[in-house]
Amino acid sequence: MSDHDKPKKAAKPPQAFGWMAEYADENQLLDAARKVKDSGYTRTDAFTPFPVHGIDEALGIKPTVLPWFTLAAGFTGITVALTMQYWMNAVDYPYIISGKPYASWPAFIPVAFELTVLFSAFTTVFAMLGLNGLPRFSSPFFSNPKFDRTTDDRFFLWIDSRDKYFNSDKVKSLLSATGALSVEEVREDDSPTDIPKPIIFGIIALILVTLIPGAIVLNMRVATSGSPRFHVFFDMDFQPAKRPQTKTTIFEDGRVQRPAVPGTIARGELGASDSYNLGYEPESTAAIAPLDGAAKLVSFQQEADTKVPDSTASEANAESAPADAAAGEPNFAWITEMPIAADEELFELGKLKFEQNCAVCHGFGGYGDGLVSQRAMNLAQGYWLQPTSLHEDRIQQQPVGRLYYTVANGKGKMAGYAASLNPKERWAVVLYIRTLQRSQNAKQEDIPTGVTVSAGSKQ
Amino acid sequence: MAASIPNDNLTIPATWRGAVPALFAVGTVCVLISLGLFYFTSSEESPDVGYRAFFHSYLANFMFCLSFCLGALFFVMVQYLVRAAWSASIRRIAELLAFTIPWWAVMFAPILLMVLLTNSKALYEWNGGAVIGLSDIVESKLGYLNPGFFTIRALIYILVWTVSARTYFLMSRKQDDSGDTEINLKLQRWAGPFIMLFALSVNFAAFDWMMSTDAAWFSTIYGVYLFAASMLSFFAVMIIICNTLQRNGRIEKLVTTEHFHDMSKFQFGFIVFWGYIAFSQFLLYWYGNIPEETLWYKHRMEHGWQYIGLLLIAFHFAVPFLGTMSRHIRRRPAVMAGWAAFILVVHWMDMMFLIMPNAAPLSGMLIVGHLVCCIGMVSVFLAMFLLRVGETPLVAAKDPWLPDALAYQVCP
Repeated sequence: MSDHDKPKKAAKPPQAFGWMAEYADENQLLDAARKVKDSGYTRTDAFTPFPVHGIDEALGIKPTVLPWFTLAAGFTGITVALTMQYWMNAVDYPYIISGKPYASWPAFIPVAFELTVLFSAFTTVFAMLGLNGLPRFSSPFFSNPKFDRTTDDRFFLWIDSRDKYFNSDKVKSLLSATGALSVEEVREDDSPTDIPKPIIFGIIALILVTLIPGAIVLNMRVATSGSPRFHVFFDMDFQPAKRPQTKTTIFEDGRVQRPAVPGTIARGELGASDSYNLGYEPESTAAIAPLDGAAKLVSFQQEADTKVPDSTASEANAESAPADAAAGEPNFAWITEMPIAADEELFELGKLKFEQNCAVCHGFGGYGDGLVSQRAMNLAQGYWLQPTSLHEDRIQQQPVGRLYYTVANGKGKMAGYAASLNPKERWAVVLYIRTLQRSQNAKQEDIPTGVTVSAGSKQ
Repeated sequence: MAASIPNDNLTIPATWRGAVPALFAVGTVCVLISLGLFYFTSSEESPDVGYRAFFHSYLANFMFCLSFCLGALFFVMVQYLVRAAWSASIRRIAELLAFTIPWWAVMFAPILLMVLLTNSKALYEWNGGAVIGLSDIVESKLGYLNPGFFTIRALIYILVWTVSARTYFLMSRKQDDSGDTEINLKLQRWAGPFIMLFALSVNFAAFDWMMSTDAAWFSTIYGVYLFAASMLSFFAVMIIICNTLQRNGRIEKLVTTEHFHDMSKFQFGFIVFWGYIAFSQFLLYWYGNIPEETLWYKHRMEHGWQYIGLLLIAFHFAVPFLGTMSRHIRRRPAVMAGWAAFILVVHWMDMMFLIMPNAAPLSGMLIVGHLVCCIGMVSVFLAMFLLRVGETPLVAAKDPWLPDALAYQVCP
């Protein structure tokens, strides 16, 4: 087995490998195997055309360790599969699928099952090959033409020359006494062990052939072509998916965009119609300002009119003409009280969100002097409107609901922040704005009696 | 090799046969006691729960015993179908188990009579003339689920099982006298058609008898679920019977360690198959999350039944899967008999889990009643089985495959 690596010595005859006995049927083989085992030989093997029941016991072959490899691989497979899926679905890229939890174990089971089987099967095959010393191209047995019949109608027993008790003469006489058809010495195969040149060339050719597709792809990356693109997956490149605002024949009404099913709520819009999410009382608002389509249009138009970007127009201008401002101002039943507890935690959240989202324009102090604004002023662009100072009287007088509405839906050039801030965060920002306003307009009576204010004593 | 069939004691001990009347008596008394016990599960709000629980318990225990007989019938036929030699020495016991079906089917009479003669909805809500109160989905099934058609189908299933079990048993018995090897060829030819009929009848029996206790619900894999449970419990029963017989000095040489090893492998295989089927059914319904499909699992995830469900995952699959994986365990008949008994207990729990949650919430009294009913039904079954065995030889001594079965060795 290991002699392939050894340097060849030309003149020396091949080394003994063992003795091989030939039998006509499996019963003779079994009897002989028992005798050989009883004589103490352990490095033995049998070669038969079909599996022979009892040969393991007769030869004294120990059970294989292969099942343990399989078991270990199976456990590895299930662990890898469950860990991988948990990490992917619940940690690295949490994504709701079919409304199930991120870590939805039942859904992980099929993959865990597959990986368990995959790992065990591959491990079993490769461990089996490894334990058998395979693959190998040749074996000394093949040097004896008689051995060919082991795949047909002959049974062979073999005693290895490396056996502890091996003695060539004793083995020969032992095997001869078992009723063997022939007993022959197997010698190491001394034919050249180099891989034949055609095989090497064949392998090189195969490797080169496998490089061709990659080479074509690489060439296509840099070359230009006049012919149209080759579509491998035609229906992926030209999907039947409809574009918005187009027609379809699938639905009776011909609309591609489907209206919401009555009684359903889109994801993330649960409770979207209560005052907590709107900043105003929807019922009262509907009563005082029934916003039908025409009225809405008018109000939008008026709002647009007040924002004509001539160089002098500004929010301050609007302030000086309250009637005009009121025309663009939605006439809603604003909430005047914070709908959630205005506590320290909400304040901290509001500070964080204000400084993340608002301060770039409105400034950390709320004076409308954020970095973006400063930069725009430096560039002296005439059409830049300085963001509203949150300390203006007009803003100070706005109810919290109005502030909330502005945060959510925007005002003038300011975009709505509904997509960035959830309702709680919007209310937190409102609270922080109120706090800023109070801080810049503090009065003596704001300070609770008996409290001495000094820098750094807050905590 | 044909000459070397060892002499074994091939009949069951006479004392076992003597126990038959006592078993019948114990069985009848226990079933009646359970009826009394279930009465106590009723309450003011739901006075008929006890009655419902009794019929559900009766059905669950009936199916418990029927399941391994059906497994036995399939086993016998499939051995002929694939011309298996290894099983020749244990096949007779399976034939006897299967041939108990015609007698055991008599125990289905109370349910059949209830459906046929009364309007009681104690077991099946589709029973009874009044359509009022039925959901649309159940109402649409009344063309199939009605007393007359139900009875006709039940009789067809029982007829199919009776004819096939009788054919295989009697032909095999005939061979005991004549040694005619033509019989094997004939039974091999018949195995294919009989198995097809078996598959259909077991599938639809599962739909009719068990699944329709929740008439609105449906699962196409339900029949396969019962089949998996049947095969599993059959191999468990076989291991126990063979081990018990050997402890009493019967079939000591004809049933070898190799046979125990193989039965254990089959048992292991069907533990996995059961888990596969049970989980497949659950996964599809859990993922689909469609109300009429998940309702069945909802019933089984509340009122204490959820604990039975969790126990099944652990003890019907995980524990016996790992426990009987090793070759060294499988080759020890006494240890495997212990595992087989364990399997039968969880199989009984499985039958309870399939049927009982439709009747009542899980309670101590319900379990006690169900257990007493089980003791009764199993006693009656044992009595019938022992009566069926009588003095029949426990091994088909002239089966041409028997020498091969004795020489058989499991490859390590």
